[in-house]
Amino acid sequence: MRGKKTRVRNRFAIIVGAVLLVAAAPVRAHHSFSAEFDGNKPVKLQGTVTKMEWINPHSWIHIDVKGDDGKVTNWMVECGAPNVLFRRGISKNSVTTGMEIIVDGYRAKDGSNKANGKDVMFTDGRKLFLGTSGSGAPGDAPEK
Amino acid sequence: MVVLCAFIAGITFAQAKAPAKNWTPPKTAWGDPDIQGVWTSDDSFGVPFERPHVYGNRKFLTDEEFAEREKENKLLASSIEAGVTPNAGYWRQHEGVDYQPYSSSWSEYARQTSRQTSLIVDPEDGRLPELTQQALMLRLAAIAASRRKPRPESWEDINMFGRCITRGVLGSMLPVMYGNGTDILQSPGLVVIRYEMIHETRIVPIDPPGHPHPHLSAGLRAYMGDPRGHWEGNTLVVETTNFIGGRVGIGADGAGLKYSEDLRLVERFTRMSDRSIQYAVTVSDPKTFTAPWTVEFPITQEPGYQIYEYACHEGNYAMADILSGARAEEAKEGAQPAAK
Amino acid sequence: MQVRSISLIAVAGWLAFALPALHGQAYRAPRAADGHADLSGIWEALNTANWGLEDHSPQAGPMWQTGAIGAEPAGQGVVEGGAIPYLPAALEERKSNFANRRTNDPEAKCYLPGIPRANYMPYPFQIVQSPRGILFVYEYASANRLINMGKPVEPVSDTWMGTSNGHWEGDTLVIEVTGFNGLAWFDRAGDFASDKLHVVERFTRTDRDHLQYEAAIEDPSVFSRPWKISMPLYRRVEKDAQLLEFKCVEFAEELLYGQYKKK
Repeated sequence: MRGKKTRVRNRFAIIVGAVLLVAAAPVRAHHSFSAEFDGNKPVKLQGTVTKMEWINPHSWIHIDVKGDDGKVTNWMVECGAPNVLFRRGISKNSVTTGMEIIVDGYRAKDGSNKANGKDVMFTDGRKLFLGTSGSGAPGDAPEK
Repeated sequence: MVVLCAFIAGITFAQAKAPAKNWTPPKTAWGDPDIQGVWTSDDSFGVPFERPHVYGNRKFLTDEEFAEREKENKLLASSIEAGVTPNAGYWRQHEGVDYQPYSSSWSEYARQTSRQTSLIVDPEDGRLPELTQQALMLRLAAIAASRRKPRPESWEDINMFGRCITRGVLGSMLPVMYGNGTDILQSPGLVVIRYEMIHETRIVPIDPPGHPHPHLSAGLRAYMGDPRGHWEGNTLVVETTNFIGGRVGIGADGAGLKYSEDLRLVERFTRMSDRSIQYAVTVSDPKTFTAPWTVEFPITQEPGYQIYEYACHEGNYAMADILSGARAEEAKEGAQPAAK
Repeated sequence: MQVRSISLIAVAGWLAFALPALHGQAYRAPRAADGHADLSGIWEALNTANWGLEDHSPQAGPMWQTGAIGAEPAGQGVVEGGAIPYLPAALEERKSNFANRRTNDPEAKCYLPGIPRANYMPYPFQIVQSPRGILFVYEYASANRLINMGKPVEPVSDTWMGTSNGHWEGDTLVIEVTGFNGLAWFDRAGDFASDKLHVVERFTRTDRDHLQYEAAIEDPSVFSRPWKISMPLYRRVEKDAQLLEFKCVEFAEELLYGQYKKK
């Protein structure tokens, strides 16, 4: 039963529908990146790990970065959810205090010493969060 | 050719709905069908929620289309294992976007490629039914309001998942980049469904069919609603009502169009093999949609997959960071009068 | 008349034998599907342990604006021996916690309560005995923990609720909990431990509607010796008792993020 009213409503729905819904494949991580970090402020940091927070929704590495002037500033770097990393064979021993790492990321919008850790590497270029897939996950509690 | 494909697709779909012939569905010690285990929707990540128009009423990919998707899944999987970021899926280069903030280490991936053209399987076109007038108006008002507010003024402008409060029931099942684990446990008279992200747990009392235990009264509402379950043969049927309306969306992670308090979900869990459960959920919300709609996809066991504590709110640095970032930008704008 | 007195003597004699035997007989809980004592159901503590584990007299709460509703009631302590054996530096930290409890108590922020506190919050919790393990589902803040009843597993990381490995000793469920992050408190009085906390819990059903709960606490960086708490837990016997939802994050956001709100 397609009257004029239905057609108008359909067109309306189509226009609105495009804006409406659910990302077809909602791929974003927990928060919108651009709400927290500034894509126009890339940073490259090299520093020593002082603390590793294996927390949710995202883990955070704290590093001491020595500037050219010799001054040390502490940075926080946001990384992926630990649950994903643990399932891939990363363990809490994969990131330890004193480790030297390099971070490629974007700085926080509020200008603080925080960055999103797009890529985190050892000084030799190896990626930090490399691991084997599910079957290598730690903990031998067999799943039923 | 199209007819032949549809015919074959129809057969495949029918076969997918029935368990393998020489497999006996396991039972618990007290005789209920056994659906226990940690199940993930990882295999369906990347399948569009709503069916792209190009597929029409087709529920399944052709062999060619499937081969394409399988190639992409394999590329994603190997890239994640190698720690590189592929030009595929989420990381596909888009024009005008020159940065991709999340490395592949953030993501989980499909172990088996899905043949589905969409997660929505009913209505026929795999797309959401029309909205009611009321829902359309509400949605337009919300869009207008968010345009007036370019930045979050408080936590209330962040979605319920970003606030680490809830993803809603449907939002907890739809596959996303990571955290798709669902833990199912059973004891006589109960099925417990426990999600990894935000650690929400639904305790479903099981009633004999035809003797449903009444729901909570209308005055008692919950973000995860109030579930009641019963067995229909080998299928667990869970009916959930008493939702808090107007705050959580019906999409993955609770994003998208917000459902009303009249939302009623009927979920069906049917074990198809040792490794998989067919999950289906029919969504009725007469205040929001002009017709009910159904989503269906398998959830599967991956060897060694465990769920871990996901203390979301406790570690939610992002909330403070997002709000302080917004205040910093406003301060900067305040310092420089806006150019007209 | 003689017959009646002989009957009375007989009855009295029987009672004299039977009563002590009945009195001394331990309660035997019905069996769950796993063959062990059935601890399933909805339980709740009925004391003021969440206000303070030690004896406490009534005192003002941190905000006079809520009047008597925010005030702390009197309570008998649940610590065996009376006082918690803090090391001197830790005692100072407890005092500081108490002074700052309005903002620093994790409960005020709707943070996960940890163990043992989750078991004596003023909200019900449900025990579900399943073949995959024993699940504790707490109404407060959607907290829950799955007790591993198979071969013990090591904690993968430090968490709020710790990693729980359980086994049966007769009809007592014994749970060893480690892998804490040291951020949870034991109560609203600021009692706490570090990430070296080691808890051993014992749950025993003493009759149809009661569990006896004990928790042995050990943390050599905070306490001079191990100590123990114990209390009964009461079944919620209402016909339609079920857990409800207490998602308190939205009640804690102003406290946590108010300073970042747009003025």
